[in-house]
Amino acid sequence: MKKERRIAVVKSAIRLSFLHSFAILATSSLAHANTYATANLEPLAVSAASFYSSNPQEMTITGTVVGKDNQPVIGAAIQVKGTSRGVIADEKGAFSIKAKVNDVLMISSIGYAAQEVTVVAGKTTYNIVLDNSNSTLDEVVVTGYSSQKVKDLTGAVAVVSVDQMKRQPVASPTEALQGKATGVQIVTDGAPGATPIIRIRGYSTINNNDPLYVIDGVPYEGKLSWLNSADIETMQILKDASAASIYGSRANNGVVIITTKRGKPGQARVNLDMYYGSQNPVRSRFPDMMNPTQYANYLFDAFRNTGDPAKAPGQEATTGTNYGLDPNNPTLPEYLLAGSATGQNVTAADADPSKYNYTPKNSQTFYQITKANQKGTNWFDEMTQNAPIQSYQLGINGGDENAVYSISGGYFDQEGIAKYTGYSRYNIRSNTRFSFWNNRFRIGENMTYSYEEFYGSGVNNNTPGDYIGEGSPFGFAYRIPTIIPVYDIMGNFAGSKGDKLGNGQNPVAMLYRAKDNKNTRNFFFGNAYAELDIIDGLTARTSFGMRYENYGGVSFTYPNLEFSEGGTQDGMSEYQGYNKEWTWTNTLNYKYEKGDHSLNILGGIEAINQKSRYLSAGRNGYFILGNLDYYYLDAGSGNISNTSNGGVSSLFSVFGKVDYSFMDRYLVSATLRRDGSSNFGPENKYANFPAASVAWRISKESFMQDVSWLTDLKLRAGYGITGNQRIPNFQYLRRHQTTIARANYPIVDGKALSSGFWVSDYDNPAIKWEQLKSTNIGLDFTIANGSFDGTLDWYNRKTTDMLFKVPLPAAAVGMGNSPYQNVGTMKNTGFEIALNYHYGFADNKAFQFDLGANFSRNINTVEALAPSVTQQTYGNFRSLTTTILKPGSPFGAFYGYQTAGIYQNADDVANSPSYEGARVGGLKYKDISGPDGKPDGVITPDDRTVIGSPHPDFLYSLNINARYKNFDLSMFFNGVQGNQIFEATRYYTDFGSFDGAASTRMLKAFSATNPSNTTPAPIRTSNDYEYASSSYYIQDGSYLRLKNIQIGYTFPTEKWLGGRIKNLRAYFTATNVFTITNYTGIDPEVTQTPSDYPALGVDFGVYPLSRQFLFGISAGF
Amino acid sequence: MKRKLVIYIAAFVAVGTFGSCSRSFLEKTPQGQLVTDQMQTVEGCEATLIGAYGLLNGNLDGTWGNYASAPSQWLFGEVGADNAHKGSVNSDQPNMNQIELHQVTSTNDNLEVMWTRCYEGIARCNTTLFLLNAVQNGSGAKFTAERAKEVEAEARFLRGHYYFFLRRLFKNVPYIDENTSTTEAITKSNEGDVYPMIEADFKFAVDNLPATHPQGDIGRPDNIAAKAYLGKVLLYLNRQSEALPLFNDVIASRPSIETLDFDDNFKIATENGPESIFAVQHTINPDGSGDNANVGDMLAGFYGSAPVNCCGFFQPTFDLVNSFRVDANGLPFLDNSYRTNPYKSDFGLTGTAKENYALNQTIAFDPRLDYTVGRRGVPYKDWGVMPGDAWIRDPSYAGPFVAGKHTIFETEFAANSVSGANYVTGLNVNIIRLADVYLMAAECAADANDLDEAKRLVNLIRERASHLPGVSVNGSPAAAYNVGQYTDFPTKEYAMNAIHFERRLELALEGHRYFDLVRWGIAKQVIESYSAFEGSILSSFLGITFDASDEVMPIPQTQIDRSGGGLKQN
Repeated sequence: MKKERRIAVVKSAIRLSFLHSFAILATSSLAHANTYATANLEPLAVSAASFYSSNPQEMTITGTVVGKDNQPVIGAAIQVKGTSRGVIADEKGAFSIKAKVNDVLMISSIGYAAQEVTVVAGKTTYNIVLDNSNSTLDEVVVTGYSSQKVKDLTGAVAVVSVDQMKRQPVASPTEALQGKATGVQIVTDGAPGATPIIRIRGYSTINNNDPLYVIDGVPYEGKLSWLNSADIETMQILKDASAASIYGSRANNGVVIITTKRGKPGQARVNLDMYYGSQNPVRSRFPDMMNPTQYANYLFDAFRNTGDPAKAPGQEATTGTNYGLDPNNPTLPEYLLAGSATGQNVTAADADPSKYNYTPKNSQTFYQITKANQKGTNWFDEMTQNAPIQSYQLGINGGDENAVYSISGGYFDQEGIAKYTGYSRYNIRSNTRFSFWNNRFRIGENMTYSYEEFYGSGVNNNTPGDYIGEGSPFGFAYRIPTIIPVYDIMGNFAGSKGDKLGNGQNPVAMLYRAKDNKNTRNFFFGNAYAELDIIDGLTARTSFGMRYENYGGVSFTYPNLEFSEGGTQDGMSEYQGYNKEWTWTNTLNYKYEKGDHSLNILGGIEAINQKSRYLSAGRNGYFILGNLDYYYLDAGSGNISNTSNGGVSSLFSVFGKVDYSFMDRYLVSATLRRDGSSNFGPENKYANFPAASVAWRISKESFMQDVSWLTDLKLRAGYGITGNQRIPNFQYLRRHQTTIARANYPIVDGKALSSGFWVSDYDNPAIKWEQLKSTNIGLDFTIANGSFDGTLDWYNRKTTDMLFKVPLPAAAVGMGNSPYQNVGTMKNTGFEIALNYHYGFADNKAFQFDLGANFSRNINTVEALAPSVTQQTYGNFRSLTTTILKPGSPFGAFYGYQTAGIYQNADDVANSPSYEGARVGGLKYKDISGPDGKPDGVITPDDRTVIGSPHPDFLYSLNINARYKNFDLSMFFNGVQGNQIFEATRYYTDFGSFDGAASTRMLKAFSATNPSNTTPAPIRTSNDYEYASSSYYIQDGSYLRLKNIQIGYTFPTEKWLGGRIKNLRAYFTATNVFTITNYTGIDPEVTQTPSDYPALGVDFGVYPLSRQFLFGISAGF
Repeated sequence: MKRKLVIYIAAFVAVGTFGSCSRSFLEKTPQGQLVTDQMQTVEGCEATLIGAYGLLNGNLDGTWGNYASAPSQWLFGEVGADNAHKGSVNSDQPNMNQIELHQVTSTNDNLEVMWTRCYEGIARCNTTLFLLNAVQNGSGAKFTAERAKEVEAEARFLRGHYYFFLRRLFKNVPYIDENTSTTEAITKSNEGDVYPMIEADFKFAVDNLPATHPQGDIGRPDNIAAKAYLGKVLLYLNRQSEALPLFNDVIASRPSIETLDFDDNFKIATENGPESIFAVQHTINPDGSGDNANVGDMLAGFYGSAPVNCCGFFQPTFDLVNSFRVDANGLPFLDNSYRTNPYKSDFGLTGTAKENYALNQTIAFDPRLDYTVGRRGVPYKDWGVMPGDAWIRDPSYAGPFVAGKHTIFETEFAANSVSGANYVTGLNVNIIRLADVYLMAAECAADANDLDEAKRLVNLIRERASHLPGVSVNGSPAAAYNVGQYTDFPTKEYAMNAIHFERRLELALEGHRYFDLVRWGIAKQVIESYSAFEGSILSSFLGITFDASDEVMPIPQTQIDRSGGGLKQN
């Protein structure tokens, strides 16, 4: 009997642990319903423990579970301690369970402090009131392929407050992550549907630094705009290797685990969330440009400063026809252009409106008449608008113990603050789950479909900063002279056609002409899964995930003869493509708990297969312009082009994880993953990614039991290796390619092309996985019964064998692609502090508030590049080279000359180190080096050095949430300190390198009467040393922003419509309320400019963030 | 229970055996590309050879950005000498100003463009030779011995060409051939002269290329092209006596120059004519795009109201235009006295004087002027009368002239230029044409003191010029056209001077000038003297100094940076 009993106990313990693990699964994305053993599970429990069923003392206990607010706690778990028996409370909070006298009932629910109640003889009804819990310690979160209680975590895992995240009205959930977790940097811009940069603990590589997303258990890489924030239930960020290395080869940049909303048993509940608001450009931040009078004087000075009588101002050959022929006093013209006459040469006859002839496709007959805007055009004003933003989301969820569902649909629409741009999204989601065989077998699915539409200039960027650049409308707003009006005398677009108006484009015209450019994306993402409990504690799970993305777009080209370099070309091009990826994951999980021991073993295999294909085509020369119904390829007559390409790749992995805890005090976790990737050749196809971590819950030690103010204290340490394989496919193979453009030649008769081949891609057969070794030491604490809690983490992350596309000399590879090599080393060290204070929740006071502060510091250093590469400059833009990769400097360090003031006089030029063409009033540079590494008294390219860093010294944020009775208030501040921005727009506005606009900054330029030592004097014949990359462009990028403020009111709806409205809250939100910064550009949030490697923080004219005001309602029925 | 567990575990392991097929699961094939094994066939080798020709236009793909590597070498060869200005406006392509003003630094992007295009061409030649070797030593179908020789000769001819372009500009360049591994190539030193290898490649081509175009394809060099190129290389090596017989062979193989039309060299309709020895074939792609067209010269598309509307680069200098002036005997002013009272078109005029400017048709000019340069008041091709500033971006910066050899007739636009971008044309660029060979032969003859032969050759060129019909304005000649014959080359020095001058006139704007000046050792003297003259009219070009270091370009800095110490700066 004794032995038998022991076995039974063991069995039940196993079952309990299975139930527990299942519960964990159930509360996770992996299993989408809270199917914690329900009342109907009882037979299972009974059959499993025949010992109990024969117990004569057993009786049926009933009761209700409510919160302090007397509302039922739906889904609260009631379990008989020491048994596998458990039920959950229904929608009225009611439950019914079998127990015997002296059994202990454990009642728990997320967000509430767990309670234990002992069954006493004669009492069968228990009404339980749960206290609100301050602590998230008992919250169960999904980590890698399994889930854990927060208090059991041994790695660095940030649990994001999804509620707070949702307060920010943005298209992409990642954008709203800003400041919500330590160690996570988000940089974004204001384009509708923008793709933000997300960096977890800095830049681990010079390659792709985007994290891996795991959505409902299915890995995903890419931009996240398709996912509606409202559908997100939980979000965890695995920051260190010990947490993330279960995702092995793709975990270097951290893993963001997202679970979407799942159904709960009970009556159907309907939730409606909607908001509507306005986005307003922050006009006070628009860079100031000189008005035409100021510009004319500036221009005259620039010619005068050449000191060359032949270049004196006031001649047509120098200052042109716009500003008159008086060398001392420029005057403004009435007209800029009339036919071929320009500026002050325009006669009344020229400007006769009857001559006006706007023939966009014929430059010979084109006759435009444009008046000068003598007051000056504020181009930023003209190209921007107050734009609406709106979102509607309707969700229904419910079910019973055998089937739960959650269905939602949403619509999001955002117009851009740049005119004629916008983004809209329709999405539907369905999560369901069914259980059979007394819940031993469960199947379910999660599916989302979204349709996105991006329209207008530069909104569908798949890489952050894709459209930043001189070619963007915002870029041109820095370049087009203010004397040009937006429209000519007949209301057509005016432009830089005229005399010496430069080659800026009218940004309003650009935006308008791109208004019909449209990109669309159909995105399906989801999985189906099945789980079987084989024996007690042992659960097998299989999940098949599918991502299918179909995207396409059309764009139009229109003649732009008002532009000085404009043409008569018109055209239309379109593209279509798809990405298809399936992920098949199989895991086996065994959970064992006995006494002080708790063990969880997970093993699994995963296969991922990906395929993509892309097709594009275009033509120009359409018979009529602007008729969208007419624009199909066949109707075009010239420039017939078409192209297609594709990609395939696969991954296969085997992984395992062991978690063990002793006395809830000593926690050990170890993971191992072995990945094989089609990206690597036979030499290095596979790699292993091990990790281990330990934690010590000091507060559970007996010697700590007297420290009453300390609720929980845990010390964590972990070490592990993760990998990165995110490089273009087939680097291990030398590849030959034929394309008409690149390798054909009209060999036969000089006309017809013959096909040729070239080596487009060179090979590195030895290419292998990039590895990141990371150490993390952390401390979690909860004080004063949950009033204070916090987390400290210190880490050291070192990337070795960094995959680096070492640019090989042309002698070795011609113009073919150099293969990636495993050569570099990059290091990130840093620490993070998160502190929270909670007031009034535990005892449900009328006034409650939360205060949260995050601080993250990360130091990035490129430690080594390839042996053959001492440094690598990139970010080439016209004659600027902004950025360098150099050992000892951070990734993306700014590179150029160090300014040393302004040459004050001829003696200064003669006696200071100078460059060929140095002049009084020009920028003076420091003599840093010569060809042999020592200063040599002259300024040459050898003197270029690291002049700044785009990485902040630290990030910080402050979150305030308060509630008084039915009112709630939240405020969120986000700050970045110590980074620099390369304000590349100065290239146009400060140096006169182009005819165009000039910054008002130049009103304080050096002159004989104003011996500035910072701002160079204008000159027309400036030497390119003067506008080469230098610290003149480098600006402090620190800022503090009140990112978000929200005031809400929850209506007392209990008595409305007979209680049919479960809840109703209305709120008002303002976003990007104010920004404190010294940065002189339009917005201190500067993403990156795509280049060979991303040129971080280089501002060529970003799409600025807008200030948003919106009103929203959320209601439940 | 235990047995069940075993079964379950076995099942799991069975699922795990999915891993055993992971090997093939993880083998993927490149999409839209072929690996080297697939290229080791006769067809693969031939196609790679076509690819080696494909870089002759200095362009991998796209149209913009290939200016420095233009087969015409307009930037280094002409802007870098006394024939042409960069043009446009001062601030446009500022790195090109460095080339014009001889202040080139190693970070000038034009150097990089030239360097990378040439090495890509070389890589393709080397890949062809590698594949040829693999095919001939492999087990599959092979080339005939005859074609194998030809393929090797073609590839080596092209390799010689690319190396020659590099050698004369950068001097010290690393030599990579089909036997150099990629790893070796990365750090290959640029010490040691590559001329012997260039010579060997052309020698092989001379020995193995047939008298007619291989495969009957007009784009492939024949034996004559190889001889001409080998001769040119030898001339650069000052081995005139070895070069002369080669040039004589070339001259003998073609009709006498005076029977050929000068202007045929610059027209679509007469491309690949008898004067063309080796030409880069340019064409418009079937889809209308211009990757395989003459993109190197596109910036020279005129600005403003011209039928092409582009960027306004590559403007002839006052010095070049005036050098076409002739004396009463129709001979050029060898003493540079053409600079006295120079012809300036409407430059410097303002207001009504400018508006009412009338062409002076009485100036005595070599008629080649109006086939080389566009100037106000003179009909330009079939584009109408050149209107002056209306076709020019900034006359105050780079003068009133436009270039004339790189553009095509308006009537040819439709089939031979990119729609909407008519400055990208299908016009071939001659690398070597017969007149070039005549004048190189003349140099060799003069060097050998055979002054009569030198004079004969120069006079044939001049005779041909005299046949050139002058351009008419309203029925009368636009200038007092006159081309006379030299009666005597009294001294070797006089002969050389006359040959140099003739080369300038005949080959103006075709990319030879800077290299000739450097080769002749007179670059400093000529360019500084030119600067004094040109700068007196256009101040931007005053005070140019030309140092010995300006005779070769710096090695591109990024290439040095990437070479792991292999490359040394000049």
